[in-house]
Amino acid sequence: MMENIGLGLSLFFTLQNFVAIGIGVMIGVVIGSIPGLTATMAVALALPFTFSLPPVTGILLLVGIYKGGIFGGSISAILIRAPGTPAAACTTLDGYPMARRGEAGKALQMALYASCIADVISNLALIFLAGTIASFALEFGPPEYFWLIAFSLTIVISISGSSLTKGIISGLLGVLLSTVGLDLVYGTQRLTFDNFNLMGGISYIPLLIGLFAIPEVVEFYVQRASPLNVSSSDKSRVSWAEFKRCLPTIVRGSFIGVALGSVPGIGATAASFLSYGEARRNSKTPETFGRGEIKGVAAAESGNNGVAGATLIPLLALGIPGDVVTAVILGAFMLQGLTPGPLMFQDNIDLIYALFCGMIVASIFLFGSGLFAIRYFARITDVPRHILIPLVLMFCVFGSYAVQNQMFDVLIMLCFGILGFLMARIGMSTPPLLIGFILGPLFEDNLRRSYLIANDASVFVRSPICWFFIAATALSLFIGLRKEFQSARAARERAAAA
Amino acid sequence: MKTFGRLLAAATVFATGLGLASQASAQADDYPTKRVTIIVPYSAGGATDVLARQVAQGLTEKWGETVTVENRPGAGATLGTAQAARARPDGYTLFMGQVSSHGIAPAVYANLQYKAKEDFEPIVWITEIPNVMVVPEASKATTVQEFMDQAKGKNVSFGSSGTGSSIHLSGEMFKARTGLDMTHVPYRGSGEAVPALVSGNIDVMFDNLPSAMPQIKAGTIRALAVTSAERDPSLPDVPTLGESGIAELEGFEAKSWFGLLAPAGTDAAIIEKVNASVNEVISGETFQSYAMNNGATVVGGSPEKFEEFIDAELDKWAKVVADAGVRVE
Repeated sequence: MMENIGLGLSLFFTLQNFVAIGIGVMIGVVIGSIPGLTATMAVALALPFTFSLPPVTGILLLVGIYKGGIFGGSISAILIRAPGTPAAACTTLDGYPMARRGEAGKALQMALYASCIADVISNLALIFLAGTIASFALEFGPPEYFWLIAFSLTIVISISGSSLTKGIISGLLGVLLSTVGLDLVYGTQRLTFDNFNLMGGISYIPLLIGLFAIPEVVEFYVQRASPLNVSSSDKSRVSWAEFKRCLPTIVRGSFIGVALGSVPGIGATAASFLSYGEARRNSKTPETFGRGEIKGVAAAESGNNGVAGATLIPLLALGIPGDVVTAVILGAFMLQGLTPGPLMFQDNIDLIYALFCGMIVASIFLFGSGLFAIRYFARITDVPRHILIPLVLMFCVFGSYAVQNQMFDVLIMLCFGILGFLMARIGMSTPPLLIGFILGPLFEDNLRRSYLIANDASVFVRSPICWFFIAATALSLFIGLRKEFQSARAARERAAAA
Repeated sequence: MKTFGRLLAAATVFATGLGLASQASAQADDYPTKRVTIIVPYSAGGATDVLARQVAQGLTEKWGETVTVENRPGAGATLGTAQAARARPDGYTLFMGQVSSHGIAPAVYANLQYKAKEDFEPIVWITEIPNVMVVPEASKATTVQEFMDQAKGKNVSFGSSGTGSSIHLSGEMFKARTGLDMTHVPYRGSGEAVPALVSGNIDVMFDNLPSAMPQIKAGTIRALAVTSAERDPSLPDVPTLGESGIAELEGFEAKSWFGLLAPAGTDAAIIEKVNASVNEVISGETFQSYAMNNGATVVGGSPEKFEEFIDAELDKWAKVVADAGVRVE
């Protein structure tokens, strides 16, 4: 054991490994902060560069980019309400209102702290519990996934905003939109209106950018108002008291991230929303969420970065990639002639330890380059609105186009921009639509797969995991709805009294 | 006067033709004089993408002009393929074709936006990958015969990376030939389907060899047979389906393959030149070791060889799809 750790350390402590991690994290932060250029894309594009590098160096480069990218997404989410990566969508909910209030610096700082702490927790989970967690994750078949998703869908209650009914309508609209494209099982076209471009479904990133960033742009031109009262005087910093207040939220978010990250196929976006929903539900002042609550930023960012280390658990322990990023990293291993999985722990244990070292160093580098990036990026809020807004619009168009190099996606982005604007006007919250859109297909796929493998409804109660999530779903629905009704009644009584 | 006019017309036509021809050969001689793009109808990081980037890198070094990869994913590779079909046939837009775009999709989709044969000129067949019949470690079957015996009279589920993939249709082909009662359970990509197989949620899968390899090596899934005509060098002990001793499976062949194509109307001289260059790149050491690490067999050869192969693939999958009844309207 000690000897292996020693071998791992000697394999890791080379200058080029440090350089690779540093460059990777920095590239990741910058690319992640540009809407439309996702962490996933950056990792895939960097893959060919790893061919000529030693295995540890190449893989650490990719891991660095991934971690940097997940954090980088929060920068534009907070500053211009355009999530740089899908996983940062949830960060806009409270990060952007904070920026508008003149606390962009504080929001970015909290995002960084939450990201780094979650990153470390996620790494530790990977290092010490990979085997245990991985074999547990394999217990998830279609029915277990189905109930996990059902449970996750109950967060719609927490993110519905002022009206639960409108929130649910918004969520259902998201589910409906997610059904566009080819049917999973039969391959038939659904809601494509014979439009060839819709056969692949509605692209996720244009939808995201349109829904979140465009309404702000439209609002600016409609109102001609300049609500951003920030200047270089933005010296807002996270105080120790605020940090202490957010710490439990961050730790909880990290564990949610680890849990969802280690089950293949769920992803960082769902984790950040789930973490956010939990934080709001546990808050004594849930009404402050969505209006610039710093805990909201902490919850969202700890949720998505908690996933970063954990997605490597199924990859390293079982050789199974849990998402696109880890699939690319698996490709990097294979190109080096290495096969992740149980055998790697026998044959290349030194390499595994070297990777673990690298991941911890990556967390530290993330903190450093994050601080550096924040200092400069925060100045974006100094740019006058009449110059910034057209630039944001340009990035929205560019980002939507860049995903698949298609003008059609720009059109999609604009349509969702208009939809988002109209929804804001009638007081309908947009995050439930996003949740419906992400989780809808997982819900449907696993429902149908369950029937395909068993052809019998009893499959839905086949295991303790099913029962656990059935109970969790019921409880979450009950508590969530009761809380909403109570606060609605309180509001009515206040109105009646006044 | 009339004759003179005709002569003049003929001469003009001839001269124009000559001019065009010389221009064309000049084009081919100089080719490429600017950036060349290879369209990949899948997202970055997938098997097709990584292969295309390998080839692009080799061509860039060889030609001194940048060769880039452009990802146009969507609708089971048909979206990017349709776009490549409409690209200008000047040799500066090439396309990474594979078993989906030029084998299965034309048979599966009724309203395809491109014609696999008419819209493309084959350039070179690059690699092929066998599929492999795999069962979970917990399964009692160690041979195809045992699998058949145990599956008789029961319903067996087979997983795939999606409806219309080569993994799905290999399963349909097996089902049609053996007459077993099999239910297709589609996932979104092999990455989701393999865990379901490892944990025994699905009974069998005909996965692409490279994506199944890590699990086969780790012993969490068992390879019963490969779907190629010959055994694969990376799994020398695993028989082919044809060797399994089951009469219905004789001559069973289903594989994934990749090759470069150009939009129809591309100058033959350019096709020749790209063909020669790619053949050199793929016989080089870098590409060979890449292929070996990824379980792929390097093929290469002339455009004609690739064209014949595509014809055969189109015929084969049309028949499989017709037998299985998986056509999509």
